[in-house]
Amino acid sequence: MSEAINLGSIDDIDEGEAKVVSGAENGTGEDIAVFHAEDGNFYALDDNCTHETASLADGWIEGTEVECPVHSAKFCLKSGAALCMPATIAARTHKVVVEDGEVLLYPNTSAVPASA
Amino acid sequence: MSTEDSCPSKANPAIGRLPRPASMITNVDVSALVDTDGGMIDRSIYTDRGLYGQEMRRVFARSWLFLAHESQFKKPGDFFTTFMGEDPVIVTMDKTKTIRAYLNSCRHRGVRLCRADAGATKMFTCTYHGWSFDLAGALQSVPNEKAYPEDFDRKDWSLIDVPSLATYKGLIFGNWDPNAEPLEESLGDMRYYMDAMLDRDPEGTEVMGGVMKWELEGNWKLAAEQFATDWYHVNMSHASALMVMSPTGRGPKAEIAATPGRQFVAPNGHGAGFPTHPKSRFDAGPVHEYYDYPALRERLGDAAVEGPMTTGHATVFPNFSYLPVNGSIRVWHPKGPDKIEVWAWILVDKSMPDEVKDAQRLYNLRTFGPSGIFEADDGENWSEVQAISHGFVTNSVPLNFQMGIGSERNDGVYPGQTSELYSDAAGRSFYKHWAGLMNTPAWHEQGQPGQ
Repeated sequence: MSEAINLGSIDDIDEGEAKVVSGAENGTGEDIAVFHAEDGNFYALDDNCTHETASLADGWIEGTEVECPVHSAKFCLKSGAALCMPATIAARTHKVVVEDGEVLLYPNTSAVPASA
Repeated sequence: MSTEDSCPSKANPAIGRLPRPASMITNVDVSALVDTDGGMIDRSIYTDRGLYGQEMRRVFARSWLFLAHESQFKKPGDFFTTFMGEDPVIVTMDKTKTIRAYLNSCRHRGVRLCRADAGATKMFTCTYHGWSFDLAGALQSVPNEKAYPEDFDRKDWSLIDVPSLATYKGLIFGNWDPNAEPLEESLGDMRYYMDAMLDRDPEGTEVMGGVMKWELEGNWKLAAEQFATDWYHVNMSHASALMVMSPTGRGPKAEIAATPGRQFVAPNGHGAGFPTHPKSRFDAGPVHEYYDYPALRERLGDAAVEGPMTTGHATVFPNFSYLPVNGSIRVWHPKGPDKIEVWAWILVDKSMPDEVKDAQRLYNLRTFGPSGIFEADDGENWSEVQAISHGFVTNSVPLNFQMGIGSERNDGVYPGQTSELYSDAAGRSFYKHWAGLMNTPAWHEQGQPGQ
């Protein structure tokens, strides 16, 4: 597992909002969006729609899904699955853990267990 | 007044018999409105009433126009009424079993002679004063004929013949130009792409059911051009339909959504786009199961089976389009610059068992019938484009047709010039050909003053 990045208090990202961790900062070279979903949990996806270039962090968070602000593709925040057209390719997930009220992002570590 | 040779099949001396003053007709040079090198189109070509009249004279009065399918005529007297541009025509089988077509307007006072959509008749008798014409277009009966001048000769008042008629593999086309380029030459390489739909079955094709007709707000070129060139809209405009049709409900797999493919670009305005994939498929299960793909590969060639036979789109310039995957063949009848009347037939192979034909019919209705889940998306787009296009500023802003500029080439697989599946190439060619016709006097303008 990759090294965690501490994003600070859970209160720093409002529910229904997302924070972008830049590629330089997270070490993957690709921006990562960390979402505070409406189920209260935190999830992370690559911050680029798999359809066309667009920031998912700028999208609409509904339940545990995010809708791309450009062409309305939807992704599951838990699995990254593409849920509707025009996206057909899953977004990459990254593991997020909340410890002692702090949000820890594990870049390049899938949020989905390999066996799932 | 009478002429020895007044056979109705000759070159229609009645057209233009009363010469019109040249000042009545204005033809505009449209070169500046269609920039196919730069990929821009002026929106006035979709809205201008004057240009629309010019289209009737110089595009529709001289192009091969789809009339009907041969299977609609089995016995002498079977007829079908349709339009060539805005000109109403009767298509019928005469006593020699020859297909004929006539202007559907009584020679007397001009009312539409035959008002039925289709049927069987012995005579075409006008409901206004009773002039009656036989299947060969000859005027046979004039009530109170004795009141006409002595030199009145019924032979002078035959129906106006469509002078050029030809069929291609079951499709009947007509052309008002008596010296029209032969249909097969006009189709050229387009025949290869059409054969992928028309020539799967040695027995040929037939149409089933009636003709579905519906009206749309929109200029006819919006629809014709899209069917020639536009795969680009598919994943966006039809997103919800693609999801409904997919097994997961989420849409097609990535490799299908981002399919490779080619687009045929004819120099005279025809176009056809199609995905290419080694495993051809028909979305209607029974149709897919019915086809003997090795036999089709033998008959049509691998490239046709892997490309234009399935999920493609095509337009035969100017206003005949088709969809091979569901057998939809349709005409975009112009009804003024702002309105289209869509007439759609369902085409099937003659040899198909009834249950396969019926599966294709149901699939056609579900997807591209008048309320089909894809058709509704397309109609909404064209109507939205048209609804705003009379705004002065809106109308003054050119539209973009730049995708794939310079991409046309001979790809070594498909006949003629092809471009990418996602390209405006066939659209540019459609408008280039349209502009060429608009700028050139037609057969009926020869020798007229002011042309």
